[in-house]
Amino acid sequence: MISWPNLVSQLFNGLALGALLALISSGLTIIYGTLGVLNLAHGAMFMIGGYAGFVAYQYTGSFIVAVIAGSLFVMLLGVLMERVIIRHFYHRPHEDQLLVTFGLGICFVEIVRLIFSSQSQVVSPPPLFQGITNLGFMYYPTYRLAVVGIVAIALGALFLVLYRTRLGMIVRAGIEDSVMVDSLGINVYRVFMVVFGIGAMAAGFAGIVNAPVVSLTPGVGDDILVETFVVVVIGGVGSFPGAILGGLIAGEIISVTSMFNPGYAYVMLFAAMTLVLVVRPHGLLGVQGRE
Amino acid sequence: MLKQRPFLIETLTAIGLIAAPFVLPHLGFAPNTVNRILVWGLFGLGFDILFGFTGLLSFGQSAFYGTGGFVAAYLLTRAGFGNVLVALIIGMIAAAATGYVIGLIALRRTGIYFAMITVAIAEVFYFVEFNPLSDFTGGENGLPGVPMPSFNLGFTTIHFTDGWSLYQFIALCYFIGVIIALRIVRSPVGAIFSAIRDNPLRATAVGHNIHGYKLTAFVIAAAYAGFAGGLLGVLQAFMPPDAFTFDTSGQLVMQTAIGGRGTLFGPLVGAAVWLFLQDFLQAALDLGAAWKLVLGVVFVLLVCFLRGGIVGGLADLYRLVSGKRARKEAEQQTEIGAARPLPAPMQAREVAHPAYSGPILKATGLTKRYGGLVANSNVDFSVDQGELRGIIGPNGAGKSTFFKMLTCEIAPTSGQIVFEGRDITGLKVTEVCQLGLTKSYQVNQLFTGLTVRQNLTIAALAELRGKFRLDLFRKLANVKGLSEQVEHTLALVNLTARADTQVAELAYGEKRRLEIGLALATSPRLLLLDEPLAGMSPRERVETVKLLKSIARGRTMIIIDHDMDSLFELVQRVTVLQEGRVLLDGTPEEIRTNAAVQEAYLGGVNGEIAA
Amino acid sequence: MSLIEVNGLNSYYGDSHILFDVAMRVERHEVVALLGRNGAGKSTTLKSLMGVVTPRSGTIRFDGIDIAGRRSHRIAQAGMQLVHEERRIFGSLSVEENIVLAGFTAPKRWPLERIYAMFPRLKERRNNRGTELSGGEQQMLAIARALVRNPKIILLDEPFEGLAPVIVHDLVRACRELAAAGQTIVLVEQNLAATLALAQRIYIINNGHIVHEGPAQELKAQPELLQRYLGV
Repeated sequence: MISWPNLVSQLFNGLALGALLALISSGLTIIYGTLGVLNLAHGAMFMIGGYAGFVAYQYTGSFIVAVIAGSLFVMLLGVLMERVIIRHFYHRPHEDQLLVTFGLGICFVEIVRLIFSSQSQVVSPPPLFQGITNLGFMYYPTYRLAVVGIVAIALGALFLVLYRTRLGMIVRAGIEDSVMVDSLGINVYRVFMVVFGIGAMAAGFAGIVNAPVVSLTPGVGDDILVETFVVVVIGGVGSFPGAILGGLIAGEIISVTSMFNPGYAYVMLFAAMTLVLVVRPHGLLGVQGRE
Repeated sequence: MLKQRPFLIETLTAIGLIAAPFVLPHLGFAPNTVNRILVWGLFGLGFDILFGFTGLLSFGQSAFYGTGGFVAAYLLTRAGFGNVLVALIIGMIAAAATGYVIGLIALRRTGIYFAMITVAIAEVFYFVEFNPLSDFTGGENGLPGVPMPSFNLGFTTIHFTDGWSLYQFIALCYFIGVIIALRIVRSPVGAIFSAIRDNPLRATAVGHNIHGYKLTAFVIAAAYAGFAGGLLGVLQAFMPPDAFTFDTSGQLVMQTAIGGRGTLFGPLVGAAVWLFLQDFLQAALDLGAAWKLVLGVVFVLLVCFLRGGIVGGLADLYRLVSGKRARKEAEQQTEIGAARPLPAPMQAREVAHPAYSGPILKATGLTKRYGGLVANSNVDFSVDQGELRGIIGPNGAGKSTFFKMLTCEIAPTSGQIVFEGRDITGLKVTEVCQLGLTKSYQVNQLFTGLTVRQNLTIAALAELRGKFRLDLFRKLANVKGLSEQVEHTLALVNLTARADTQVAELAYGEKRRLEIGLALATSPRLLLLDEPLAGMSPRERVETVKLLKSIARGRTMIIIDHDMDSLFELVQRVTVLQEGRVLLDGTPEEIRTNAAVQEAYLGGVNGEIAA
Repeated sequence: MSLIEVNGLNSYYGDSHILFDVAMRVERHEVVALLGRNGAGKSTTLKSLMGVVTPRSGTIRFDGIDIAGRRSHRIAQAGMQLVHEERRIFGSLSVEENIVLAGFTAPKRWPLERIYAMFPRLKERRNNRGTELSGGEQQMLAIARALVRNPKIILLDEPFEGLAPVIVHDLVRACRELAAAGQTIVLVEQNLAATLALAQRIYIINNGHIVHEGPAQELKAQPELLQRYLGV
């Protein structure tokens, strides 16, 4: 039952899933780090990215356009959400922030359900990446292979934005001390809005890229949200490197456990999270005092 | 609120439950819907104790709902267990035990971490139920054939069958659940739950083991969830696997927020609204799947604009109507109270070992480093019993850090602290407070959502009950010495007329006095006061100095303040800190005339800085 | 017209009333010091000017416009900078990033060379993270971060606190250079010698009230005043 090709292919699956989780979690974690709001609608953002891309794909037939349109749509949605609702919750207790984003997440899911029904939509991979690739030692679906590459590029792009641009510098400073950023002449509320948009976009991008791998349903974001939480707890809230490390760990745990028994995947994931909580309560790369 | 009629809420609940079968059918409620509302309401009673009263928002209650439900259903179907009630109770116990173990993990963190961990837990249980344990739980099929309850009374057997007949059984369970929940929230433990919600830091500092109480709330919520889960199986004659889904947790959270958190009945009201709208929107308006969107929008709007939910909104309305009259009376009383006689001084609690006669507090070589920064270095400090000591020093002298080390809020890098001959270095702030050493804070740390009397009650309870005790069913009024201690403290800090006012409505000076009162209500033998006069007007300062003098009798006090005139009038000796060290120790007169102290404060006016 | 004119300023911390009808003015190219005991309201005054604390009432005219109640990024863009007592360096950013970030929205910036010429230590440590700096270097960076925006006025909150004498000496010299170049400065400091060496005019604040205003020279000749408001 456990053969080398099987293991390698599962490790690959884990990498693909891990990269995806890393991308979604970085979105969640930079929003939390900068704004102090845990966005429970983040899973819904992932889902909406998939549907927005799906619509664009149907109209244009171009996967690239679909990815761009899906991401931009979710970014705008994020910006809108921050402006209209989240902004009024910065000075309210954490519970209220959790409740309102939770409620918004449900509204988003139900709106999509109303438009597209609960039935799953199939998004086919772009023609270039269809079929199966022979890696020499095993065969692997080409699109899944491409996902690893696409998500790695996206993570790289996010890294460059965070560490090599003006905006990234402001965001990193804002995660530490948003009041001081404001004192240096930078409108920190506008930064919050942009960060919320970028964070949502990371989830939306992952949503459309992942759509050809799994079929699209309105509830597709729910499981992802839970996995994202585990990633963030393992990696440390507010830490971009932590999200990547946590994502890869979670991805591999889920994939490798699934090889033996898929039912235990979450149990193992939870065990890993518990272990981290006991040994390093602030996450592997987290900083004390952020909660 | 309704203290004068102690069983009013219980009576109203009973009347409501008895009347329901006669009234609700006319409003379009089917018996099955009413039963489901009650099950959600019972589930919500425990959750409201956890979320509304203790302030812990869990998204993982489905784990316990499912656990209780499946244990009971398994016993009644596969294991051939006959007695429904006993099965339900075993299910509840299983859920509570699970809650205890999960609580140990989840409560390691607070805030959003806690919320995320509970989400993860719920998901794990869902997968475990479906996969590894599917032999026991029936996997996707659930457990069909859960029997209806019946009771053999000897002469006759009562069978509860469908509809309104089963309602009687479920309503009885709900009623008992309400009575227990009311007892809990009115008990000392319940008071401490609200203290944890409002200000966990201060709840710890006045001497409560809040981790233990949080775990208690978590287990209570799990137990309610477990029992309700079992009832769900009975109600449907089938234990559905979706009891374990995240949606179940989410629905509970939403119903509680819609109905009103912290009200016990909020979840019931929320469930009624939820299920009624579900039926109404689907059937009457033919909205199909859109019903949940409508509910979602209602929920978001409520969170945005009506924090207290429906019940909370009604309570606010009631208070608005009835409150004006009460306030007027209170104001008149305040004026009368202005010329009050000075209350008798309050005794500190009995000394644990009266034979001890050395200095009450002795710190040797106390050092605190933060990375490279040295806040205190090698401080030797000793205070005698009954002494009134002042501490002064310029900014950055390390006074606050020094206080925090003495009360064990932070651990010293090195050095030793001895309180009444006992080494307290490394103890927790809760334990130190229990020993009789506490502090009033520089920045008010009050339980802002509670009344003045409730604030002092919480502090006094710590002294009277110790740091952890599970007297879940004791009435607050039955705690021996509690009301005397609270009333006495109220009189001492001159807040008797404001006893039933919410802290948020107090003036700043009153809050400041309550801050001191909170420390005082724990009957400390050594009381540390961190800038008690901060932010007060000159008149308030005079009053507060008088207050401090009156509470100083029979206890030792150490006071930090910048108001030299007031401080020197108050204390017998003064210790001057500078750059983390003790510069001088002496009487106010000696300090005033000491050249080194002047130099420390004025920073060498005559010194030249070469450019 | 004065660069800053404050009238009837009342500020609160939570519901604790800290500043009572504070009135003060600062002329262009002037160094003004604010003295007072701990908790007298010095930091709150600076924070109210900068918009970090929002005053409840009063007017603050800065270079002709009323800035009371505005958000601090607007006030910063108008040409004011506050160097916080806690310095508030971005620890995860490098020294140079800290400085560059501060200059983003400034209409006119100091070139980096000018900053480094003033604080050679910062040039040596330009690639170090903020967390790796000593207290003195952090203070230099905090001041540099304000200067890079070429502010019309710079507010210094206890810049010399907790620093070794040799560092204080360096910083005082830097402040003197700035003052000589015409930089307007408001200084809050406990180190009286350094303050009196730098400031031209002094305000004394006690329990949130301005109780004295006058030239620094005059204060040196009135030790009883210092004794009354600052001494023990």
